[in-house]
Formats: sequence, structure tokens, C-alpha cells
Amino acid sequence: MARFRNKRGKAPVKPPVVKKPPAVNQVTGEKVPKSIVFSRGKLPGPLKQLEHDLRKLMLPHTALKLKEKKRNNLKDFLNIAGPMGVTHFLMLSNPKSVPHLRVARTPQGPTLTFEIHEYALAADVARSQARPRCPQGLFQNPPLIVLSGFGNGAKHLKLTTIMFQNIFPAIDINTVKLSSCQRIVLLNYNSETNLIDFRHYSIRLQPVGVSRRIRKFVQNHQVPDLRNLQDVSDFVTKAGYGSESEADEEAATVSLVSDLGRVNRASTKSAVKLQEIGPRMTLRLARVEEGLCSGSVIFSEYVKEAVAEETQEAGNEEAGD
Amino acid sequence: MADAAVAPLPPAMDPTVRKRKTKSGKSQKSNKKRKSIPMASKKPKKPSQKMLKLFRKRARDYQSDEEEDPADAGDEETLAESSGEEEEHEELDAGDEDEFSGSEDDGDGAQLGITKFTEGCRAFKMAFTKIMKKHLSNDPLGPILSANKKLVAEKLAEEVAEQKVKGETKKEKHLAGEKGHVTPANILDPKEKFLISVATKGVVKLFNAVNKAQNPQKGLNPSKSKDAKELAKRRKQAFLSEIQKSSTYDNPSKSNSTTFSKSTNKEDNKESGWAPLRDSYMLTSSKLKDWDKMADPAPVDEPESRHMVSSSDEE
Repeated sequence: MARFRNKRGKAPVKPPVVKKPPAVNQVTGEKVPKSIVFSRGKLPGPLKQLEHDLRKLMLPHTALKLKEKKRNNLKDFLNIAGPMGVTHFLMLSNPKSVPHLRVARTPQGPTLTFEIHEYALAADVARSQARPRCPQGLFQNPPLIVLSGFGNGAKHLKLTTIMFQNIFPAIDINTVKLSSCQRIVLLNYNSETNLIDFRHYSIRLQPVGVSRRIRKFVQNHQVPDLRNLQDVSDFVTKAGYGSESEADEEAATVSLVSDLGRVNRASTKSAVKLQEIGPRMTLRLARVEEGLCSGSVIFSEYVKEAVAEETQEAGNEEAGD
Repeated sequence: MADAAVAPLPPAMDPTVRKRKTKSGKSQKSNKKRKSIPMASKKPKKPSQKMLKLFRKRARDYQSDEEEDPADAGDEETLAESSGEEEEHEELDAGDEDEFSGSEDDGDGAQLGITKFTEGCRAFKMAFTKIMKKHLSNDPLGPILSANKKLVAEKLAEEVAEQKVKGETKKEKHLAGEKGHVTPANILDPKEKFLISVATKGVVKLFNAVNKAQNPQKGLNPSKSKDAKELAKRRKQAFLSEIQKSSTYDNPSKSNSTTFSKSTNKEDNKESGWAPLRDSYMLTSSKLKDWDKMADPAPVDEPESRHMVSSSDEE
């Protein structure tokens, strides 16, 4: 009897409940894509930092503190990918020529290989800014993704688009909370140079037509410094510095569904402001492989002619996955 | 007593080395004076033969073994050596010479037998202090006592070269690691501004879409059960409409966009796709019969599936 009770009646000692992000989106029933970022081979210091920055960028559905060992090979990662529900691999490697970033879908592929022509770390970006911004819950929600300039119809570009769209969980516009949209990842394809600009911004909303002083006052709830003012009314009436780039704001204003934070009311218009968080990369799509870092080459930057006809016939199927 | 005799003695002892000896003796004394060593006994380094004999005897008596004798002889030798070294510094010491006086000899007589042992120490100390006092030339190698200065110099040069090579390879490695790493400019260049504007456009598009989609639900709080029910109902409707739409969409022209169409529902175009809501649904089924063959113009131009991605290709 006791045994029975032990087994059924009493719940075993539960480990402290860690609230996990659901593996499946409750609304759409869709699998939440998860990714891990790791390196292949030894990386120099800055690239290691870039790896960490990328992990942060991929938050929250990623392993931020992934421990990799020298002897870990792709198979090891692939083995854990299944049980952990990892859908995407981001692999950094540093061959003699240029550092490479490979983005692969598990377990079958395809694999996109990018050359990283230039990159700047998040720390570099923050250092270049007068006021780097990192609010509390910035990395608690997945970023939005904006892909721009990919629409010239080439198969490999379409594949890139799909890959990057699916790397972050889809957003249902009916249920999404605007407060969860705090970051955005931009991929801009330049068809002239064949380079992809990879940027990572934080989104900030500000009410339009409210002076900076008042905004700060409402936001911080701190007693303002009135020493230089003749009258209290000056605080409201006197415009501080000239409002910055009023022209931009016209295009970048939105009206919100609900109040967002202290300052952004649904009734007023809000301006969308982006500030870069980094990392920043300039990528060039070098190769597309059918499998996971293997299989036939669907697209190659350097041997276009050889692959061209192959792409023609194989393209239809591969573009789908 | 003894001191009076001792001072004049050294010259008498060994005429050939006399000068040196005296000098060394003086310098020793001057040293000692400077250092003000407490055991002041041993300045009379060159006692007469007679005295030596006496010393030996006393020492023998005192220690009752033979070891002292060789030590004594050794003492003399070390002294000679040290005096040889001192030659370089004679000029230095010369100034001190006149300071020398016999005043320190006082304790001599009483302790002479015992001090034998410490004399060795003194010799060493003198040699050491001499070395330490040496004026160092500006030789990059520093004070090297050994004769093979050249060897050392060679070794050092080799080391430097090695270090250089090492540093170069390290630098190279570092540079290789830094490949592609750029630090962004402090001021936004036009390209960055353009990218920000593109991203902003995307965000604005999404927010407007969200606004449009969620406006009808305004006032409904999902945490309230009543409102939640209402929302669930609407969601269900949306889902059903979705089914309808996706089937109508399955024509080749729209095939590529179906990959995104996960969350489309515009409540306003229920009328066309919302047969299930009608009372006559499934009763008449006239509409259902060939719903897939109907070319429905309404949903086509409707902005479907505002996915998070607003691929702004038109730019």
C-alpha cells in the first residue's frame, strides 16, 4: 500500500520548476524553432566573441552557455539536436581564407555557407555609441526578422529567405504583444555586390510630440532638476533641445493597440526608433548544400556555370525545405 | 700594548709586497671603519712572526685541533687576493686612508686568539663589499665577473632575436584572427541610415498590421474568462476561415506565399469565406459543392498572412 502510495499518490520530489518556453506554439500548434550556435575548429578570440554574440541574438530559443569540446564533431551535435528539438545549427569556422558562417537546418539540411567578409561585435557597436541601450527584458523574446532585397527570384535567395524566416518563431499578429517585440534582425541583400548586411537592432517606441523632458519625467519618476527655470510652467512649455529628426518620424510612426510601458499610450502616436545592438556582419552566400554540411551542391558562388543546370532541376524540391 | 707594536709591523714584514699590503690593510681598516663593525679586533692582519706563532699557539690551546692552521694560511691568501682586487679601487680608498688610525685596535689583544675564525668572514665581507662598491660602467650586459663576456653577449643577442621572431609570429596570428573584424564608426554613415530605415519600415509595417488585426479585440482582456471565451470563439472562427482560404489559395500563382500563410484572418472578409458561420451551412450546401473551383476575387487582393516577415522586396 505504502509503495503504491509512494508511486502514485505522492508526487516524487520535483525539481524546482523552471518555466520553459513551450516547444510548441499554443496558438498555431507550430513547432518553435530552436537553434544552437557552435564552432567548427578553433576560433580566434574575436570570432569566439562573435559566436557568443550570435547566441545572444538567437535567444531565447538557444543554448547560451553551450559547452563545446575540441573532440565534439557534427554528429554529436546532431545527436542531441533530435531530443532537444533543435532545428537549426549556426556554425562558425575560421579557415585560412575568410571566417565562415554556416546555417543549417537539422537533421536533413540544407546548409547555407556564408563568408563573413566583415563583422563587428556587439561590444564594438556599443562602444561606438554614446548611449548604448540594453533594457531589462531585451533578450527575453525572439527578435523579429526583416528580409529586404531578396526578391529577385533566384532560387538560392529564396532559400535563404525561407531559412532565415524559419529560424525564429513565427508571429501571430492576432495574439502577439507589442511589448514582446523588442529586437529586430535585418538582412539586406545588395544585388550589385551580392553582399548581405546582417544587422541587429533594438526597437524603442516613443510618443510623438512629447518633449524629452516630460517623457523622461514620466518614465523615470524622478524629481526633475528645476534650478535653471524661472517658473514651474517652464518645465512644460520650454522645449529642451530641438526634437531630433522630425522628418523621419513621420514615416516611422505607429498607433498602438494597447498601452505600452508608461509613456506609450494607445491613444497617441508613437515613433519607432531603432538602435543597433550588434553584432553586425557582412555576409556573402558562398555555397548551398543539400544535406547537413554534405550532399550535392545546389548553389556555389564560384562555380556558377557548373551548378547552374543542377540548380534548374533540383531547385524545385530543395527550395521547399 | 699590542696595538702600538702592530701598526709599524706590516712594513717590516714583507718588503716586496709591502706597499700593497699596507694599502690593502689601510683600506680594510677604512672599510671597517665605515661599516663600524662591532668586533673590531682584526685589523692587524700582518702580525710579526713572533706574534703569529703566539696566535697559533693560543688558537691551538683554545680549539685543540689543527684546523686553524690551514685556515690561517688561507686567510693570508684571501687577503692577498682581495688586495689584488682592491688595486682598482685604490684611488677610491686613498681618500679614506688618512682616516685610518690605530684607535680600533683596542680590543685586539684580548680577543686575538678567538678572532682567527672570524677573519675569514671578514675577508669575504671585504671582498663582497668591494664588489658591491664597484662603479658600474654603462655596459648593457651589466656586471659580469666571468671572463666569457662575449659568450653571454652572444646568448643575449640570440635571445633577443628569438623573442623578435616569436613576437612577429604572435602578431601575425593575432592579425589572422582579426581578419574581417572591423570597428564601426561612431557616426552613422548613409548606409547604416538606410539599413535602419529599412528595418524601421519593416517594424512599422508589422505594428500597423498588428494594430489592424487586434483592434477589433480591443477592450477584451484575455485574462478575464468572459473575454477569453469571446476571443477563443473568434479565434476558432478565424481558424475555420483559414481552412477555407488555404484551399482556395492552392493555385500555383500563390504557391510560394503559402509557406508563410499560417496566421491569416481578416475578420472583415468573412462574408466570402465564412460559409460555416451561416445558418444555412451544410443544409443547402450549394456553396460548398464547388467552392474550390470558384475564382474568388476577394481573398486574392486581401493582404494575407501578415507574417512577422515583411519582406520588403519592392525596395
